[in-house]
Amino acid sequence: MTISEATGATPSLRVTFVMRSRPCYLAVVRATVGQLAATAGLEETESRALVLAVDEALANVIRHAYHGRADGRIELECRADADQLQFRILDTGDPPDTAAICAREIGSDQIGGLGTHIIRDVMDTVSYRTSPAGNCFIAAKRFRRQA
Amino acid sequence: MTISVRQAGAAQVVDIAGDVDLGTSPNLRRTLFGLVANAQKLALNMQALRYIDSSGIATLIEVLKDCQSSQKQFVLFGLSPAVREVFHLTHVHRIFRIFDTEEEAVASA
Repeated sequence: MTISEATGATPSLRVTFVMRSRPCYLAVVRATVGQLAATAGLEETESRALVLAVDEALANVIRHAYHGRADGRIELECRADADQLQFRILDTGDPPDTAAICAREIGSDQIGGLGTHIIRDVMDTVSYRTSPAGNCFIAAKRFRRQA
Repeated sequence: MTISVRQAGAAQVVDIAGDVDLGTSPNLRRTLFGLVANAQKLALNMQALRYIDSSGIATLIEVLKDCQSSQKQFVLFGLSPAVREVFHLTHVHRIFRIFDTEEEAVASA
């Protein structure tokens, strides 16, 4: 894990994880994202939802990009800016099946496919990009501060 | 995550504690499916559950469907506010029978 602070006109804090696609690392990421959200001033409920969304995004990489293999490379960059928290996940596994994203009917007893709904519900912006270098997921949560 | 099982009246009560995520939900699934065959009623005690993700929710849906198809009961109780939030976020709170206390869950018909 790397932590860096960029100071200047817009101070930001960046935390980067470079890890193998092992589910046992998810708890470490959750703890850090929770702390980051709390430090950024998110209230408890919002913070928990954010932790869940990031966890779901990583779990999707482990399950669908790497098919449960534990030797895949995942890079997660968490960035706290003045107005938002942004998460970028890079992997070199199979590209996401965009047709399957949010394809499940929400509220039904269908098994699976809940993770992408959680991510869409919790985050303000979500994007998936695929290039020859790998897959890139970017999601951001904007701060709703009182004026 | 830790799991233990005990008998309470006509129900098998499953106490789970810790985190249910992609790494631990297969263990929960194995345990619950192992119990369904020999129990008429399963009551999942979620009081000490800190965290659950969509793989954990999917596991619970699978067990619920299995119980429904074999005319067995699967009920939940003791959900913390954090766990309730996940049920509401995924809209699955409507498909489970959820109770506040063990007494209510065990006594439910």
